[in-house]
Amino acid sequence: MTGQPLDTHPARLRIANALRTAACLAFLLIAVAVLVFGFGRTGERIAVLMCVNVAAVVSLMVFCGNTGIVSFGHGAFMMVGAYLSGILTMPAGLQRNALPDLPGWLAEHELSVLNALPFVALAGFAIALLTGGAIARLVGASATISTLGLLIIFHSIAVSAREFTRGSQTFYGVPRVTDLIFVLIAAVIFILIARAYRESRWGLFGRAARDDEDAATVLGIAPRRARLIAWVLSGAMATVAGALYGHILGAFSPASFYLGLVFSQVVMMIVGGMASVGGSVVGVIAVTLLLNTVRGLEGGATVLGITLPEVFGLTTIALGLAILLVIWLRPQGIVGGFELGPGADAPWLNRVRSKMTQAAAPATAGDTKLVAEGLSKNFAGVKAVDAVSFEAPTGQVTGLIGPNGAGKSTLVNLMTRQYDADQGAARIGEVDLTKLRPHGVIRQRVARSFQNIRLFRGLTAYENVLVAALAARHGHAEAHAITLRELAAFDLGDIAGMRAENLPYGARKRLEIARALAQDPSILLLDEPAAGMNPAETDDLADRLEAILRDRNIGILLIDHDLKFVNRLSDRVVVISRGQKIAEGTPEEVRADARVIEAYIGRGRGGRNRTLHPDGRGL
Amino acid sequence: MDVLLQQLINALSLGGIYAMLALGLAIVFSIVRLINFAHGEIMTFGGYGIFLSMAFGLPPLAALTVGIGAALVMALSMERVAFRAMRGADVVSLLITSFAVSEILKVLFQNGISARPVPISFPSSWSGAYQIGGMTIGVAPTVSILVTLISLATLTLVLRRTATGMAMRAAAEDFEMLRMLGVKADRVVAVSFAISGLLAGVAAVIWTAQRGSVDPLMGFFPVLKAFIATVLGGLGSLGGAVQGGFVVGALEVLTQAFLPDSLAPYRDAIVLSAVIAVLLVRPDGLSPTKTGARS
Repeated sequence: MTGQPLDTHPARLRIANALRTAACLAFLLIAVAVLVFGFGRTGERIAVLMCVNVAAVVSLMVFCGNTGIVSFGHGAFMMVGAYLSGILTMPAGLQRNALPDLPGWLAEHELSVLNALPFVALAGFAIALLTGGAIARLVGASATISTLGLLIIFHSIAVSAREFTRGSQTFYGVPRVTDLIFVLIAAVIFILIARAYRESRWGLFGRAARDDEDAATVLGIAPRRARLIAWVLSGAMATVAGALYGHILGAFSPASFYLGLVFSQVVMMIVGGMASVGGSVVGVIAVTLLLNTVRGLEGGATVLGITLPEVFGLTTIALGLAILLVIWLRPQGIVGGFELGPGADAPWLNRVRSKMTQAAAPATAGDTKLVAEGLSKNFAGVKAVDAVSFEAPTGQVTGLIGPNGAGKSTLVNLMTRQYDADQGAARIGEVDLTKLRPHGVIRQRVARSFQNIRLFRGLTAYENVLVAALAARHGHAEAHAITLRELAAFDLGDIAGMRAENLPYGARKRLEIARALAQDPSILLLDEPAAGMNPAETDDLADRLEAILRDRNIGILLIDHDLKFVNRLSDRVVVISRGQKIAEGTPEEVRADARVIEAYIGRGRGGRNRTLHPDGRGL
Repeated sequence: MDVLLQQLINALSLGGIYAMLALGLAIVFSIVRLINFAHGEIMTFGGYGIFLSMAFGLPPLAALTVGIGAALVMALSMERVAFRAMRGADVVSLLITSFAVSEILKVLFQNGISARPVPISFPSSWSGAYQIGGMTIGVAPTVSILVTLISLATLTLVLRRTATGMAMRAAAEDFEMLRMLGVKADRVVAVSFAISGLLAGVAAVIWTAQRGSVDPLMGFFPVLKAFIATVLGGLGSLGGAVQGGFVVGALEVLTQAFLPDSLAPYRDAIVLSAVIAVLLVRPDGLSPTKTGARS
């Protein structure tokens, strides 16, 4: 961690990512080699199935890992792939016999397996696009149950559409594929795609939205679109994996793709670790080994002199216990929450010298201002914000203070579209922010931080800022350069490679501001940036914000309870209490305002000549 | 008119079963954030309770009581053995745990009892029908509607009028807060599982009485529908779950009655697609739970 200059981080990250891909491939190749050279023909058969499972589970992970939603619906894609590829590749004579009522346009193509795959992928893409519109709207448990609904829908269609599938009867005559090299190459390609997607722009966006949907939205990421893209790619991949699975089975029925298959693949993904491609690969290998050991016992066996009874479904019990143990003992899976392999802060990347130059500070923000006009918001009859108007121009800090519950955070939430305003407008130039979609606010160059820190906890500090720079539509290289600039500006270089959830409190607070600044805002809304900091940290933060103001001419709307901090930075201060603006002016004017004193320390004991002490205590 | 009324009764009877299952799911979900995939196995176990006690010669009514008791015991032991260690885990871990429990129990049923349906023969008068104003109405659907309504009404009373019920409703809104007020968490969770077990037991009674057999997957399929019902109603919303159950039941009966024969096999697909279409318009369900998250 220490001794690694920040400006080599992009190069180290690139190398680490390549190494992580290599680690996934190495695990797969070693497992295949052990099976083939250690167990002969049986081992090779197991290896073929394992490679197809790697392809299927990696496809599943592309959606689940990058969105945090467990899908039971991928069995539907696999089923479509298997049947479609079966129909396209089946010998014509056999097909007339097995599927006499098949529509002409599908019949008698007799493609090779390889030639059928593009059509299979296309079909998967189309179905995923069609279903993704619904799935991508949902999150969490609702989304998972909807994917289950999808599986049931496709299963019942497959059972009913006899002319295509022979209904619940066995679908036979599918050309067998048993060539290990063919499926191994397929598995390698799937791993490469999944790794590339995970580290890509949309993979990062998806994982950011997974960790905190609101924070991602504020950065201009459209969470639904991120989920839809993951779903479509994942669905198309799973359809191809399903085709391969069908070709190694040779004969199957809709039940082959129902909950049994889905359960085993979800187990593989979770046992290994759902958040990473390496986790999927390791999970498939571990579960394959487990199942093949248990399968030997299923028909009854003698172990250590004890004769075990015949138990059908012993493999299911083994899968069930495996997943229970993993969830109880190691909820993140064998591999854990991180990708398998070294991170960018691994000690043995110390020798990387290739540097990247920080981006220059952005051209100073042009003169504009954020204008609140009569913003109002009611919560069940309580006027949280009541017709508040003020201006926050660029090149200045506008303080926004008020007692607890005055409506400060609500006001910010109205302007950045976390809440819908009941009345009023928040204008930047001619544009009314309250009319925009939540992820459109940042396009008007208005960024914010949150009162209770909302970082993307599964991403590193570096990636947290990088994702913001990418979301601001910067090119790849430029986004990295901007990330370096903001991390340096907030002294976060040493911890750039650490996951956000492991950072100390002060660093998290600074990281959130760095993330917002990476979007080159002209107006920055800071909601209690100094809360919980000690005086030294607060002074340090004030120094850094002053430097930013000097260099970039941005406008800051600063909410904080530390009035010394607010007064030091602010050119003007707006005071609200009980949802209404009660004063506005320079810090000195506001401190002397009778209504402000009353709001803070009450009426009665205050004399006429009293003012609020600069650090917020009454005299 | 006759057909319509007949179908209305069928819809109420099927919807009632879904509603009870969905309500059981929703009560547990609202308190421990667990989507209990193994809920179907609770119902199946209740069915086997009926089967076994009849096999041992108990009279039908006693057997039904044993069945409900079996479901209750199953629900409580499931909570104790599998889910108590997981309390506070995230939704996905809990979901997968229950999925594993469900798969394991199914295999145990297959090996321990039978992979095939086992018959339950109730007195023939139960499957009879009676006439009202020239209409033939089955006894079983009528009784099942009555039982459903009584169960739901009792539960509503318990939830609204008793201290435990109040604690349950409070726990559904903010479990942590309730614990800080000194209410025993284990007790509230156990009661929620007990209620869901009782409801699943009643559902098992009605289901077996209408179908006359039990198999390892008996509970699984109705519970799949109940899942859809809870999502449709708004996950975690108790009223929504009941509402969703009746809607899914009604959709199913209506499509069965009025779909042309060529489309009939696609019934499940059509019902589920309709539900998903509703979710497109209302992603949080028909009666969403209120959350007070601050930013």
